[in-house]
Amino acid sequence: MRSLRSPRACLFAKEWRELMSSRAWWVMLGVMGPLVGMSFISAVTAYGELSGVNGTAAGVGEAFSPLIGIWAPTFSACELAAAFLLPFVGIRLVSGDLQSGASKIEMQHPLSSRSRLLIKAAVLMCGWMLATLAPLIGVVLWMSYGGTVYTPELSTVLAGHVLNAGLTIALAAAAAALTEHPATAAIVTLTVTVGTWLINFAAAVNGGWWERAARLTPTAMVAEFQRGLVRADLVMVALALIVCGLAVAWTWLRLGLSATKRAQLSVAAAIATVIVVFAATRVTASWDASESRRNSFTKSEEAALAAITGDLHIEAHFAPEDPRRSDLEHNAFRKLRRAVPGVRIEYVSATSVGLFEQTSEHYGEIQYELSGKRDVSRITTADGVLTSVLTLAGIGPPPELDAEMFRGHPLAARPRGAAVIYYGVWPLAVAALAIMVQRRK
Amino acid sequence: MTATDGACLRVSGLTKRYGALRALDNVSFTVRRGEILGVIGPNGSGKTTLFECVSGVMPRDAGTVDTLAPLFYLPDAIAPWPAQTVGWALHFVEGYFAAASGLRDAVIASLSLPSLLDQRIGELSKGQRKRALLAVGLLTSRPIVLADEPFDGLDLRQTREVAQSLRSFARDGRTLVLSIHQISDAARVCDRFVLLSGGAVRGEGTLDELTARAGQATLEDAFLALT
Repeated sequence: MRSLRSPRACLFAKEWRELMSSRAWWVMLGVMGPLVGMSFISAVTAYGELSGVNGTAAGVGEAFSPLIGIWAPTFSACELAAAFLLPFVGIRLVSGDLQSGASKIEMQHPLSSRSRLLIKAAVLMCGWMLATLAPLIGVVLWMSYGGTVYTPELSTVLAGHVLNAGLTIALAAAAAALTEHPATAAIVTLTVTVGTWLINFAAAVNGGWWERAARLTPTAMVAEFQRGLVRADLVMVALALIVCGLAVAWTWLRLGLSATKRAQLSVAAAIATVIVVFAATRVTASWDASESRRNSFTKSEEAALAAITGDLHIEAHFAPEDPRRSDLEHNAFRKLRRAVPGVRIEYVSATSVGLFEQTSEHYGEIQYELSGKRDVSRITTADGVLTSVLTLAGIGPPPELDAEMFRGHPLAARPRGAAVIYYGVWPLAVAALAIMVQRRK
Repeated sequence: MTATDGACLRVSGLTKRYGALRALDNVSFTVRRGEILGVIGPNGSGKTTLFECVSGVMPRDAGTVDTLAPLFYLPDAIAPWPAQTVGWALHFVEGYFAAASGLRDAVIASLSLPSLLDQRIGELSKGQRKRALLAVGLLTSRPIVLADEPFDGLDLRQTREVAQSLRSFARDGRTLVLSIHQISDAARVCDRFVLLSGGAVRGEGTLDELTARAGQATLEDAFLALT
């Protein structure tokens, strides 16, 4: 056997070997195929039917973009795996060393515990990237059907899931380092995951601060990336949380520190993270990587909005659970915030459902105010909001340029071969590889 | 501590508390270069805590540890890298701790490990695992090795073989500090002894010094008399 002389190389090779010995990782890899396959096959089938397969709804697919029709659902399987499978792989890799006593041997090397943890995280990320081969096979299949691929939007979706995996790895590492048993670490990790869902639920019911917090959860972050939107604030928050998780893990994995000192350092890391997160919420920069510009107004519309001077203030009278509020937020305000970063948007409601507010005089109104001028509208579409804002600003409607229209990429294709690959070839190949690797001496 | 006084590790006033319990109480002793020092004490006397505090694995509440050379602590009751083979573990330790050339083969031969190289660590018996772990400790090339209960789980023949092997490494310049609860094992291999009981040092010296001080004929009797 060749001796690897660099301690980092030795440790990386060791961690990789440990990952390959981990049944948790092989299970995750094996499950990824059918999980992604199910999403991909149903997405391609739906896309094909709406694009005219079997004579149904021909022409509807003209507005179709693979980002929403194919990549978002296909890669959403990664979100499930990151929430329910990857934590166990991460915990296995970190807790395994603590449980077996290997960490007591490895940590006596002068290599810093920070480097050791980063190597572990890097190996876990490499393992995750291997698992991401499953959706990437979907990309190849899609192209073989004649489907188009717009690289920036596909890369954005992939980047979102990589960031999400980074969050999971950091959380799992922190949980494994903080707790004495892997089962406890798993409970802690799942508790945090479920906790973020509760925030989303509370946001949908209560709005307000819950809504602001919900915009920063991993689920919301992945959703933004799946829409092709890269938001600097979310990237900053995700990176801050990853660093925080790893810092906490590092603190509790270091040798020779008292529990009090570890607790103090962990609290300091948490406080620093909260500060960064608050700072990040002030950042408005974003990049729409979608081919259809689904997060943006057209370039002419943006040029018209850029001419607005003065403070734009909007009050939308919709309850958190009112579906019109969701339409307004996702289809109109999201675009407006990107085009007019200074816009101040507030939601006003007396209840969470809004059902009993319908009779109230102002419920359902969107009140616009710009430099002392006011306007009221009830239209929740992007065009309606744009018209109201431009009218208030005294700016004429921008020209509708044919070149700016997204024509979509309809594809009336069936998911040929996908079932064989995802439900047959993938699991068999993973099982064969797992047996081969596990038998290796 | 200087290179001329023969000491390579000096522990002074080491204290460790677990809440109200004083696990180590003002522990002081010296380790000389190239010797095998046995830290003897019954279960719960603080041997493992002492080793963990000396090696820095665990924080200490008071006291100092001065060392002239890097040390390695080999914990008891661990089964590192259980899914990997003994051969791979030794290969990893050799690379990771930059072992001296040729040391791996010497350690493997000395601890009779060739037949275990292809076995997974998690599948070894307690005695086999103990020998594999000793190999890990010796392969680190650290001049001072602290081994917690190195004879635990070994049968009589293995104990003698391992003792012989440790002696041979000590002759080659390694300093070994062994925590041992079986006094007969300690008497077989160690040059000097630190008697630990209730977290405090009750005596330190060679077999002759301790038996003379206790007015007893054997190390076991001296230990009982002094603790």
